[in-house]
Amino acid sequence: MAISEALAAHLHGLLSANRVVLFMKGTRLAPTCGFSSQVVNLLDRYLDDYATVDVVADPALREALREHSEWPTFPQLYVDGRFHGGAEIVAAMDESGELTALLGSGPRAPRPPAIRLDEAAAGAIADIGRTVPGAVVRLEISSGFHHELYFGDAQPDDVVAESRGVFVHMDAASARRAEGMSIARVEGAGGAGFRIDNPNEPARVKQLEPDALAALMRSERAPRLVDVRTPAEREIARLDGDEGLLDPALEHALLALDRATPLAFYCHHGVRSLRAAEHFRELGFREVYNLAGGIDAWSREVDPDLPRY
Amino acid sequence: MSGSHGNHDPAAVRAAISEAILAAIPGAAVSVEGGGGHYAIEVVSEVFEGKGMLDSQRLVYGAIAPLLKGDDAPVHAVDTLRTRAR
Repeated sequence: MAISEALAAHLHGLLSANRVVLFMKGTRLAPTCGFSSQVVNLLDRYLDDYATVDVVADPALREALREHSEWPTFPQLYVDGRFHGGAEIVAAMDESGELTALLGSGPRAPRPPAIRLDEAAAGAIADIGRTVPGAVVRLEISSGFHHELYFGDAQPDDVVAESRGVFVHMDAASARRAEGMSIARVEGAGGAGFRIDNPNEPARVKQLEPDALAALMRSERAPRLVDVRTPAEREIARLDGDEGLLDPALEHALLALDRATPLAFYCHHGVRSLRAAEHFRELGFREVYNLAGGIDAWSREVDPDLPRY
Repeated sequence: MSGSHGNHDPAAVRAAISEAILAAIPGAAVSVEGGGGHYAIEVVSEVFEGKGMLDSQRLVYGAIAPLLKGDDAPVHAVDTLRTRAR
């Protein structure tokens, strides 16, 4: 398959606008594959700025790169417009010192992120800290942005951020994901805990109640509405104005859309559709909705004439 | 939705990888381990003499590229690929 002219121009544009480009699965802060994560962790030690491109979100570019690099897997590292290798080769270049020569700068210690604790959170952490002598407070942020705050041992490679006199230890990858985050003490019916707000966290699937989805469908930003049920269920009842059942042809058509296109998914009770919604969000769609409670809730709350089953 | 990688018989995939490499690099000593879409490959051949890691691996990847293509490819990932001249 020859690369189309438009794709070749797109690729050329990416490579000439950025000295270092990593074509990977997921994003720099939220890689979705271990090999991509490994190369990001390495490059982050060498460089503040480099470009990453999520090839999962762009299947045509992914195929074009396989041809262009003569290399079938990702990640793929390009420097000065030239392909240099995947995860294994980049790791070998790090070991041998070649990566320093290639990138023009050597590895450095990571900078601590700016984090903000509110007064109550800082006080609570200090109080708990006094009960566990020798332990430090640690924060781990996974590539899926799951946060864990706990007391544990300090590690030699820790990055340490400070706020209100509290020192928070993190590994390098967590530290990059923590920039600008805040930790607040919250008290609720179930007891006290911490609330973490992280501006780097990727958008989640938004759950919409039936009336909220109905209003959105009438607005200018109406999402493409997709049914993820079976043909037999669709015979019984379906929502007006949807794109039809999520079959391979519709999935193909959706994947060709701009990733800013809003999408909404529904099923019988909202469980299957949430899985489909997550899938499309992972493929790079930034505005993805799920009908909470499914078509069943819609029948109860929006359109009583719609048969329930 | 995403394809599953469990639909291919590991022994048959290992044989297919081996065969594809031998067709491109006749006389090479090829060993393939793994299954479930993930494989480790070692290839020993004098064609790698004087070649860097990138060009050596490209030669092997080029040979097995058809097995890595598509959403339901028999080979999802090559976890390690070693090439040696001897």
